[in-house]
Amino acid sequence: MNSIVPGTLAPRTKTGTTSAARVGVGGPVGSGKTALLEQLIPRFIARGTNLAVITNDIATKEDAERVRRSGLIAPERVAAVETGACPHSAIREDPTLNMQAADDLEAKFPGLELILIESGGDNLASSFSLDLVDYWLFVIDVAGGDDIPRKRGFGVLTCDLLVINKTDLAPYVKTDLPRMVREANEVRGGRPVLLTNCAAGEGVDAIVEHLAREVLFDR
Amino acid sequence: MLRLTEIIGTASEPHIAERLHSLSHRGAVEYVTLRREDTSRKRLHVFTDRGTEGAIILDRSEQLANGSVLLLEEQRAVVVRLEEAPWLALEPRDAAAALELGYFCGNMHWKVRFVGEYLHISLQGPRADYLERLSHLIADGRVSVVGNE
Ligand SMILES: Nc1nc2c(ncn2[C@@H]2O[C@H](COP(=O)(O)OP(=O)(O)OP(=O)(O)O)[C@@H](O)[C@H]2O)c(=O)[nH]1
Ligand SMILES: [Mg+2]
Repeated sequence: MNSIVPGTLAPRTKTGTTSAARVGVGGPVGSGKTALLEQLIPRFIARGTNLAVITNDIATKEDAERVRRSGLIAPERVAAVETGACPHSAIREDPTLNMQAADDLEAKFPGLELILIESGGDNLASSFSLDLVDYWLFVIDVAGGDDIPRKRGFGVLTCDLLVINKTDLAPYVKTDLPRMVREANEVRGGRPVLLTNCAAGEGVDAIVEHLAREVLFDR
Repeated sequence: MLRLTEIIGTASEPHIAERLHSLSHRGAVEYVTLRREDTSRKRLHVFTDRGTEGAIILDRSEQLANGSVLLLEEQRAVVVRLEEAPWLALEPRDAAAALELGYFCGNMHWKVRFVGEYLHISLQGPRADYLERLSHLIADGRVSVVGNE
């Protein structure tokens, strides 16, 4: 922790001297947040990232159970937070439950490098507190309509990385995808936007690379 | 990539200030400019004003602030500098308008400060976006924008 090796990559031990990167995954109901987790998990595990997951649901542990059952990750590495009424309060106004869950995971799994935190499905205004996460993604999907970026939701505008999911559905829902991407770039002033099809895993490698570069710093 | 894994101190501490001063004569102090909200993050991919690429990786208990010194060596220092977000100053016409404005800003989760009769909103994005969101209050004069930069 104290060693600074200027100009080089300091060797990083798997025993974990630094705390894990915390990355939020937010977005409207059904946009594919859990589907994205299910695509990210095997990829991070394959590249050797020591990983855990937290899911938030309003009144159940539905998403956590789904990820636990998926067989993609050891079930004890998946923690569930029940948020009560407002999903966004647990990731923004009062993120203590999630911070606690993340601290618990770090204590339980020494050397943890990354914690992915899925928020409960919410609206376009939801956002993560930077007290909770180091970096956050906002997942919208083409079936929600190509006018979503134009509507300038706070989440769409301020997230670190905007993910436009379900690209495979564009032809069926009459979404002008190039226009959606262009407007997303416009409203975000050029900050990153990536496209995925989480049904097939397309575009997910780029997200893994992006997160590795922006928060893991392990290569 | 330069890994910055601890906060060594603050630029204003006398013994650090002295060293920064002599390094600055050699142009060896590099600044990382952060928005205020980014100081809550413990991991940040940054570039200094001299183009050095850096990875800030801090313990959860550390807190970045204006003047945080992240590197202090014979040949180079790295110091955090806060970019102060601009404020949008608003004046409500009467108590009813003030209540509504306060309620609305809270609903939007905007960061505000109270300055006497005025409400200041910390602008985390283009000013025009905020004015657009407030247009229903501004249009009929319940709220007016103070000053016009
Ligand atoms: N065709 C298609 N379907 C997808 C894609 N991603 C997710 N889905 C489907 O969309 C539905 C919702 O996906 P979830 O991953 O549960 O969405 P979510 O954002 O986690 O939902 P909440 O947590 O309830 O807000 C599921 O039926 C997924 O199978 C995609 O890229 N393409
Ligand atoms: Mg989900």
